[in-house]
Order: sequence, then structure tokens, then C-alpha cells
Amino acid sequence: MDKDTQVQEDVWIPTVCSMCYSQCGIRAHRVNGKVVKIEGNPESPLGIGRICAKGLAGIMLLYDPYRLNVPMKRTNPEKGIGIDPKWVEISWEEALDTITQKLKKIRAEDPRKLVFTGCIPSMSPMVFGLALFMPAFGSPNVFISNGHQCGNAEHLLAATLHGALTTNPDMQYCNYLIMFGCHCGTAAYYAYTTMCQRMADARVRGMKLVVVDPMLNTGAEKADEWLPIKPGTDGALAMAMLHVLLNELGIYDEEYLKEHTNAPYLIAMDGYYLRDRETDKPLIWDPRDQKAKTYDDPSIKDYALEGVYQFDEMLGKPAFSLLKDQVKKFTPEHAAEITTIPAETIRRIAKEFGEAARIGSTITLDGKELPYRPASVVYFKGAHGHNHAWLTSLAIELLCEVVGASNVPGAFLGCNPVCYGYPETGRPRWEPKVGPDGLLSPGLWFGGSEPGLIPGPYPPTEPQPPQTLNLMDLLTPALTSHLPVLTIPRWDEFKIPYKPEMLINYGANSLMSIGNPEIVAQSFKDLFVVSFNLWLDETTDLADIVLPDTCYLERLDPSPNMHHHHFPVGLGEWGWQIRQPVVEPLYQRRHFCEVMLELGERVGIRPEFYMVVNLYFDLKEPFRLDPAKKYSWEEIADTIYKSYFGPEHGLEWFKKHGVLKWPKKPEEPYWKPFIKARVPIYFEWIKGLGEKIKKIAEEQDLKDIDTSDFQPLPDWKPCSALEYQGNEYDLQAIYYRVPWHTFSMTYENPWLDEISDNEPYSYFISINTDTAKKKGIKDGDLIWVESLDAGKTKGRARLVEGIHPEVIGVANNGGHWSPNMPVAKGKGVFFEALLPLALAKTDLLTITMDCDARVKIYKVEG
Amino acid sequence: MVRYGIVIDLKRCIGCYGCLVACKAENFTPPGVFWARVLKREDGKYPSVRRLSLPLLCMHCAEPACVEVCPTGASTQREDGIVFIDAEKCFGCRYCMMACPYGSRFFHYRERPYFPAGFTPYEEMGRQKHPTGVVEKCDLCRERIEKGLEPACVANCMTKARYFGDLEDPASEVSRLIRQRHGFQLRPEAGTDPSVYYLSP
Repeated sequence: MDKDTQVQEDVWIPTVCSMCYSQCGIRAHRVNGKVVKIEGNPESPLGIGRICAKGLAGIMLLYDPYRLNVPMKRTNPEKGIGIDPKWVEISWEEALDTITQKLKKIRAEDPRKLVFTGCIPSMSPMVFGLALFMPAFGSPNVFISNGHQCGNAEHLLAATLHGALTTNPDMQYCNYLIMFGCHCGTAAYYAYTTMCQRMADARVRGMKLVVVDPMLNTGAEKADEWLPIKPGTDGALAMAMLHVLLNELGIYDEEYLKEHTNAPYLIAMDGYYLRDRETDKPLIWDPRDQKAKTYDDPSIKDYALEGVYQFDEMLGKPAFSLLKDQVKKFTPEHAAEITTIPAETIRRIAKEFGEAARIGSTITLDGKELPYRPASVVYFKGAHGHNHAWLTSLAIELLCEVVGASNVPGAFLGCNPVCYGYPETGRPRWEPKVGPDGLLSPGLWFGGSEPGLIPGPYPPTEPQPPQTLNLMDLLTPALTSHLPVLTIPRWDEFKIPYKPEMLINYGANSLMSIGNPEIVAQSFKDLFVVSFNLWLDETTDLADIVLPDTCYLERLDPSPNMHHHHFPVGLGEWGWQIRQPVVEPLYQRRHFCEVMLELGERVGIRPEFYMVVNLYFDLKEPFRLDPAKKYSWEEIADTIYKSYFGPEHGLEWFKKHGVLKWPKKPEEPYWKPFIKARVPIYFEWIKGLGEKIKKIAEEQDLKDIDTSDFQPLPDWKPCSALEYQGNEYDLQAIYYRVPWHTFSMTYENPWLDEISDNEPYSYFISINTDTAKKKGIKDGDLIWVESLDAGKTKGRARLVEGIHPEVIGVANNGGHWSPNMPVAKGKGVFFEALLPLALAKTDLLTITMDCDARVKIYKVEG
Repeated sequence: MVRYGIVIDLKRCIGCYGCLVACKAENFTPPGVFWARVLKREDGKYPSVRRLSLPLLCMHCAEPACVEVCPTGASTQREDGIVFIDAEKCFGCRYCMMACPYGSRFFHYRERPYFPAGFTPYEEMGRQKHPTGVVEKCDLCRERIEKGLEPACVANCMTKARYFGDLEDPASEVSRLIRQRHGFQLRPEAGTDPSVYYLSP
């Protein structure tokens, strides 16, 4: 500032970023009412004072002159992609009146006619809509519009093996990390900023990083060894590594498998547990007493992991020996043909990983002796974004399970499945429980610290003939679903007993983030669409009313990190943060949560709404919401804080301090030795579910419900891109993420756009140099990428060495076409055009989209 | 005598462009002007190929070629080694840009907002810092240094790949890192003795 500028105000305000789903701690510098700088908040365990390019660039989102500032309604009845809705400005009063009338009518007829979708980066309000408003209204029809980015397969295994929603490696102690198709510690991933610091520390410390990825991008750039793999074959690699460990080298943690998994459970010839007649509990074989006992029998002296045993005229084999048999056909030589990774490399990596796990070793932390397994995997979209996502993810996860590298120091960790609470109050508190058959059941799930609103995957929910548009009542293991885009227009075909009528969209740009936009548009166009938006984006072309949303710098969110789902793993500090407005909402923008509270009042669902809030946050007296009173959003935030952290830590305390911290105890992140729940290496219940779902699908005459992947053991099968036998579509198109963009939403940010403009790859289509030369394509040529079973997309070729010769790589979600986002328009490449949306292109067990497109490329003529 | 310098550990750096934006956010640099940059390059042939990210900024050379050629005395060097430009004295001849072996200088030709619709309130607050018709570049955040803070690119670096300190002090962390990990300068043949050192990836 100039000396002569009158400075009336100069403050730093602690708050939380929302430029991606990591939700790191930031502080905003406000001078005379204007935000002049955003920095990392040194007090926050998320970022510890250092944030990424996206977070720094938030100012350009706050002050973007193309933001939506007033409510509007469409006047053009014709809806479609690129058809001008002919918006006219309306008052908030008119907007809310119209919406209320519609909601009241639907609630009287059938609340399930209301559908809700939201976007992941605005995590906290999205969950407010999805897990609070919708259950209160009475509709289960929620979905998250992140289609092909979603980690559903990882979430299912995070829940069942780690008791958490998400996973991350323990880079504070890990010495050997294999990263399958993700950018953990180098680009977008959970707890991004802190994990980047830990990854750098670990690499300097000497941790070996092996990156399995068809493309050399941010992850492989930092790898000690890059293994370029054919897309969709990570499962075959993991199966071969399991084979080497179990059958060739005999490296596995026998004690861990016996005590902490269902490896010793006896499996009958029909694939189900051999159960005790009286208690119905699964049986194990005690080789010392030479008899079958229930898994929890206190007299067990030892467990058999191999052999065939007889019990009551039935034969049973320990699950572990079935796993050994299952992986046998995946010899490194066989896997080499599938993955294009040489057999000797597969053998060597498996051996290095197994030896790095130091089976049998311990470490003493904070006076507690704990198993020490400093080897881990981490995997995401690149590995599981294919058909057969379940089988592939399970194979990768079991690499850690067989060597005991699970939720102990140095290993693969759930993202904070155990929390014993703030020391002064003991709240919030959650820990995994022992579920049916002695298996782990998460203590915390998407539905808050009292699971029940949105049940976790285990114990499994009984499948039903579909009553919900996301089909999650039929396909019960999935966490989220993109399937409403298929079922909304074909509700009757799916035997859904009502016709969907209305969609509330919280900031998601579904046309650019799920798949083929024509299909998405088809499913939205006959609904009454109310859209809370930052911009008039591509999806608002299908909206009836648009409402100007606040961005994260203009709003209050009391629980931005969602019960530490997206928080650094391992030791360190807990930190409950506040997201607070650093400026009052500009223009007529209003916070989604406040608007939904008001709509709840107008529709008359206050008692239901408050009941759900009380349940979700597990609020205790005297801090439970009383339906006899009306609370503001600030008062609700104050109540949540006080209920968790005591009356002295209310909203005002959080506004001033930003984050409440307390140290983690070793038994929280490293809970494995302390919680006596076993984890499955054999998913017997998945097999059972598959049979039930198959029966329902047949009875209801539902098409394309293929349950053949509901297998209890890992496997590898080719995804559809690999099943293609022709020659014309000779390449596979993959999607990757860069550290300075989040999905499609950051493309309108001119600082981040400028990075991509100056960076060689992210606005281009990366092609292997030799492959391009054979096709006569030169660097910078404008090319078409045409998908075998969906649309085509255009972009400029970038000839690179760091990509598999049979693959092209596209970054994030470019190619905006809305004229109302001038910075973003036409930038980058629109990958979603290549993705068909179909049940047959979905891993139905986890509801994971297959985002591996079989394509051909050719030069744009003229 | 103090000689400020920066050490960039390429083993820690992930090429995330955080330094570029941290610099922009701190210094209000206009579109197309980058006091901090990142270059990316591939080496090798598939599958034996590596990719390298190289963060760049003004090297604050001990023997700055830019200062030598400046006809007006606008480019000068402080005693602590910081090379800076006095915009009042610069008349935009751009000799310094040709002399700099590192391409670290930018000519601010005309004012341009980031959005087609015009300057944001944020940009309005920083416009006065960027007169047109002059050359500009990194000044090692001298205002921050005077307040006892590290340069913005150092303070924010997510992977802690950047270290700031006194190259003349053998006990400083920067000196220690250069010694222990064989820190190197870019283009030593240019003979300018940069104050920015790199540690190999």
C-alpha cells in the first residue's frame, strides 16, 4: 500500500480452501474490505502454511466478473445443449416461491420425485444437501456429479479393510511405495498439501517410489522407477505380484493373516463359509487340536491356513489357500503379456515390496510397541476406473494385506477411521466395530459419526428391487452412483415406481463431468432444474431457475473436513477447522446451506431437518436442535461446535482461532493391534449379494445387470477397451490430473489457465512420438480423437516420449463451451465426449464408470 | 557481508507451479509477466525416459550482466546481492533482457486485465506497482525480507523445495545444502555467478 493510502482495516482471517476436495487451511488477508492475498494457515495440519497453486488463485474466483450475481429464470421453453435459456432476472422471493410450490407438490405426491446432485470440491455444502436436506425431505435420490472421477471402488475397500472412506499411505514411515494410477503426494489427492510435504520428506529420506501408470506425469516424474502399463491391466500386475509373494517366494505375514483377517476361515465347496451349526459362526481349523472351532473360540491354539478339512460331512479349505490357488494362473510371464511390463520386472518389484514390508518387525512409538510394515500401495482412478474395478482394487489392496501392511506404521492407512475425540470432551468420537462374522464395520461413514442415515457397506444392506434412481438399493455395496443420468429418462424401464420431476443441482457441471453430454442432457431436460451456481456454465443451459451461490470465501461451513475423511493420515495433529466468510457475499449471492434451511422452513420439514442434523452430527443435550425453535445457519454451526468441543468453543471461538487442534495418539492411526475386528481377504458376503442381486434382476426383468464380478477373491478380466478385437480403433484414451486444476471448475481461473498456457502438456493431447510419426501426426497438429462407442473430441497433438505407445493422455476436464465462462471457453480437451454412459460400461459392484476409451486419432482436415 | 541466495531442491520439487502463483499473488504481476516460472522437459526415449521440472526466477547474479548493460542505472545491485530495477529510471530499452542469460526479465508493454471484462478489485490494488513501458523482474520479495519474512515462493513452497538464506555464511542452511549436496548453478559458462543454486533430482 502507498503510505498515503488510508488504511482502516488490515486483517488476516483463518478459513478453509475449497478449490479442490482437500479443504486445506488458509488465511485471507483483507485490507479495507478487499481480499489481497490468500496464504496457507500455518496453524492448520492441512497444509501447515503451504498451499497449492489452486488455493493461491482463489482470489480470482472471488472476483471473477463472470460470476453469477442474481437469481434468474429461463424464458425459453426449449431446452438443450447450447440453446440459450433466455434468462431474465428475478427476485430471490420469486425464485424461492416458485421452488417452494414445486417442492410442496412433490412432497405431497411422492418425495422421491426430487433428485439432488452436487459437486465434490464444495464438499461440505454438498454433503449438507445430500445427507441432511434430502433425507429430511424424504428422497433417497442423490448422486455426486463427478462421474468418472469418483473413487467408488477405493471407497468400498477403504470401508471394509480400513474402516474409512478413503485411504493414503503412511509416508512418515513408509520405505517402499507403489502408486497405481494416481498422483498421491504430487498432484490431486486426499489431503493434498500435507501429503506433498510428506512425499518430499519420504523421498529425501530414501523411500523408493514405484509408479505404475501408462503416462509419465507428475507421479512418475518423481518415481525411482516408472512402470508404463497398458491401461486397465493394473489388476493383472497385482495378481502376478500376489502370485510371486504367495506361491513363488512364500513372503506373507502368517501371524497377521491368522489373527487379523478371515484368511483361516474355512470355505465350503459352494464358496460360502463353513458355519457352526449352533452359533452359525464361521469355522476355522485348529491344527494343534485337530478340530474345527468358531473363529472367536478362546481355546484356539493355532489356525490352519492351508489344507482341506472335514466338518460335519462337509469339506472346507481355509480362505488363504483359495487365494493362493486363485492367483496361480497369473504367472509373471502371463501378466507380462497383458500389462506389457516385463516378467522379470514384476518378479523383482514383488520381491522388493515383500522384503521392504519387514514382516515380523516392530517399532516403538510414544512408548507403544507396534508392528512395523514400511511398505504400501496407493491406487486410484487410473487403476480402478475400468470395468472390473472391484476385482482390480481388491487385488491391489491384498498386496498390503498379505504382508500385514495395513493400518500400522509405514503401511497403507485408512483416512482417520479412529478418533477418540478432543481430550476435554472426548468428542467427536468414532472407531470401527466388530460386525457380523467378526469382520470390520466402519465406525464413521459418509453419513456422519452416527452411521445409519447412509448405511456403510458392511454389514451389507439387503438388495431390493430398485426404488431409487441411483440403483443403490439394488447395488448396495456402492457409495455413490452416477446412474441417475441413465435411469431418469428410463425410470419405467428400471421399474422405478415414480416419475422423477425435479432436480436440485448444487454447483455440479454434470454435462462436463460424467460422460457423454448428450446422454446427461437427455436425462435433465424434462426435469424442473434448480441450479445453485457460480457461473452460467454448460449445465445451466438445462436449468429452469439459477441461483447465485457464494464461493468458499463468502460462506460459513462448520465442518469443512467432514469428520476428517479428507485429512492427513498417520501421526500428527487433529484439527477441526471453520470455513468462514472473509468478505460478505457480494451482489445477491447467498450460501446454499442458508437457502436450503429457508426452503426447509417454507416446505414445513423443520422437525425432520433438525432430527437429521442431530443424528448426522451426533449432537448431545443440551446441544440438540429443538424443532420448537428456528435456528439460523450461524446458530446451527455454534451448536455443533459446542456439542463437540464444549461451551467455550463456540462459533465465535472458531471464527477467531480458525482451527482447534489436539495431538493424535498412536492407537488412532495405527489401530490395527488395538481393535479386534478382522478384515476379509475373502469377501464371502459379496458372493452372497451377487446371487441375490442376480435373482432380483431376473425377477424384475432388468437388463444389463451383470453380477459375474461379485466374486469373493480378486481377479483380472479385460475391460471393454481391451476386449476390442479390431484394428481401426488402435489406441486407448486415458485421463490424468494436473496439480493446478480441479476437474473442470478451475478452467475459468485466469491464473491457472495461464499456467496451462505456459506448460507443455495439459492443454494438449499427449501421444507417443513414434506412434504419432507412424500416423503422420506432427507436434501441434489439430487432431480428432474418435471413440469407438461414444463421441469425438478435438485438440492439438503433443508428441512425447513419456507415454505408452498404445495410449493417448488428456488432462482434467477441458473444452468448456459456455460463452459465459470466457477464460475457460475452448481451453484444453473435452475427454468426457469419449465416454459412453451405459450399465455395460460400469463396474456394477462399486458403480464405477469405465473411463478407458477405445479410440482412433486423425488429423482435422483443412 | 550478506549475500542472499536461494537453493532449490529438485528432488523435492514436484513441478506444481505453486511458486509461480505464490509470486503472482504476492506481487500482483500482470498477465504474461512471471517473476517465477517453471520449465518442463523430457529426457530420453520411451521407455527409458524422465521428465524434469525446473523452477526459475531471477538469479540475482553476483556479476549481473543486466546491471552492466543498463544505460540509465535503473538496474542496480544492492550490497546484499539483490538485483532490482528502479522503474523511475528505466526507459524500456530492454538491453538487460538480451543480456540476461536466464530469460528472467519481462517487458511490461501495456496494462492488461486478467479477465476480458476488466480489472478485478484485487488487480486494482496492485496496478500502481506495475508501470508500463519498463522492464520488471523478481526482486527477491525485498519488502518481505525487510519484514523478516522469506520470499513468497520460498514461504509457500508446498514440498519445502526452496531454501532462502545467506550464501556468505558457511553455517547457513543454504551454504550447508550447497556443500553437502553439491549444489550447482545454471549456465555457469555465462560467468554471472548466480545466487540461485539447484540440488539434483
